[in-house]
Amino acid sequence: MTFEQHGENRFIVPIGPQHPALKEPGHFEFVVDGEIVTGASVRLGYVHRGIEKGAEDRTWTQNLYLMERICGICSHIHATAFVQGVEKLAGVEAPPRARAIREIFAELERIHSHMLWLGVAAHEGGFDALFMYSWRDREVVMDMLEMLSGNRVHYSANLIGGVKYDVTPDMMDKIRDGLNYLEERLVHYLDVVNNDETFIGRTRGIGTMTREQAQLLGAVGPTARASNFAYDVRVDAPYAAYTEFPVEMVVAEEGDLHARFVVRILETMESIRVLRRIFDNMPESELVTRVPRRIPAGETISRVEAPRGELFYFISSGGGEKPERVKVRTPSLCNWGTVITLAVGHKLADMPMILAGIDPCFSCNDRLVMVKRNHHDPQLWTWADLRNYGIEYYR
Amino acid sequence: MSIGSMIEDLIKSLFKKPVTRQYPFERQPAPERFRGKLHWDPEKCTGCQLCVKDCPANAIELIVIDKVNKRFVMRYHQDRCIYCSQCVVSCRFKCLELSDEEWEQAVTNKKPLEVYYGKEEDIRFLLERAAAQPVESPCE
Repeated sequence: MTFEQHGENRFIVPIGPQHPALKEPGHFEFVVDGEIVTGASVRLGYVHRGIEKGAEDRTWTQNLYLMERICGICSHIHATAFVQGVEKLAGVEAPPRARAIREIFAELERIHSHMLWLGVAAHEGGFDALFMYSWRDREVVMDMLEMLSGNRVHYSANLIGGVKYDVTPDMMDKIRDGLNYLEERLVHYLDVVNNDETFIGRTRGIGTMTREQAQLLGAVGPTARASNFAYDVRVDAPYAAYTEFPVEMVVAEEGDLHARFVVRILETMESIRVLRRIFDNMPESELVTRVPRRIPAGETISRVEAPRGELFYFISSGGGEKPERVKVRTPSLCNWGTVITLAVGHKLADMPMILAGIDPCFSCNDRLVMVKRNHHDPQLWTWADLRNYGIEYYR
Repeated sequence: MSIGSMIEDLIKSLFKKPVTRQYPFERQPAPERFRGKLHWDPEKCTGCQLCVKDCPANAIELIVIDKVNKRFVMRYHQDRCIYCSQCVVSCRFKCLELSDEEWEQAVTNKKPLEVYYGKEEDIRFLLERAAAQPVESPCE
């Protein structure tokens, strides 16, 4: 992915892969003319872990936990996407209560992910007070997730055919109290984001993306919705319990960094509203349906709305206990194109905020794509070929 | 438009106690559903090996000494365990359980992380049998 300027006196500022401003490894090169960025390129792949290949070596059940570990922030949604694909292949549907619980976990996860982002993005803009307070309040939702599943990060709530953990009325009351507090705080943060003059100076009119650009560059999730590109898998292709408990799509028209802040905070509030609706009308049923250990042969796709945008799974089964192929496309990957396009024309000091504006998750999006010429068949690589390539690469 | 819109939060915080928990002097109990160290009840186990098959981290080994008399020993590799509780769900006889009390599991060597569960005489039998076999050098 390059967008380079060809000229005599180019000055390139390299950032990363090890850099104090970025917590995850990614390499960026910004071509600058004085303070103004005139070109940008990104190089990824520092945290490639071979998860898709690893999936072929594990059973369906074991893969559930492998997929969950693709991302530490949106762990539940990865497992949900995988599980829904497998259930579709097996021709079963999770019971209504299990689907509602999946939605509860997904929405709680969205709240924690957006609050984490709010903190990180504010920190990149030099607003550390907002960073620390939003992270303090994020602990409330982390405690809820810990209460529900016993764990703060990898909830492991999904099973093939249902969920592991029930939500008791007692827990619902505790979560309701926590949500009331969170809503109050979010109203305050929305007020800060909308009214703080120094903060608006750093966000309004920065990294503005038009609707056409969002469509052209394939942006997904809140990044696209902030540019008035109304697309949300939860609304357009409802899964889990989103047909019974629908969410309202949040869109903004401005397309700048400020709009992304507003969209994400409003989405968090919408999550709180839908959680309350679920708790008021919780369906009664068992938690798990029986799914055979061997999944019938076939291919399927599964789409869900992760906190960062559309998450896409392709699953192929050969009829055995293990999948033949699992392909994952994470939302961060779709949004990189917007970063390098929007960077042009802005000051170098705005780059961390534009980068953080898409809520990037580096380790989720590292996949291996081989394009090699002068090979017998560039589409076909055997395991031995790949292994040799890996050894030669690091020699 | 305002400047310093979070100053009120900052000033309020000046008069509040720190929220940091003074661990390890103050211990908070883990949540009820916390997934800690695995425990196995040999009485109920039938040796179906479903937990071994489903474990995503290959942390469980169920060693059969005598299937007819239900003599099993479980070797639990705690250093591999990812505490996902899939084995607890897979077990049809409810003989597995993840403790919500044992969560301070840091150790300085790997030895205590290989845990044996089962009847004492079975574990002794197994360890003696292992000790009697000559150890092959991995370099040869």
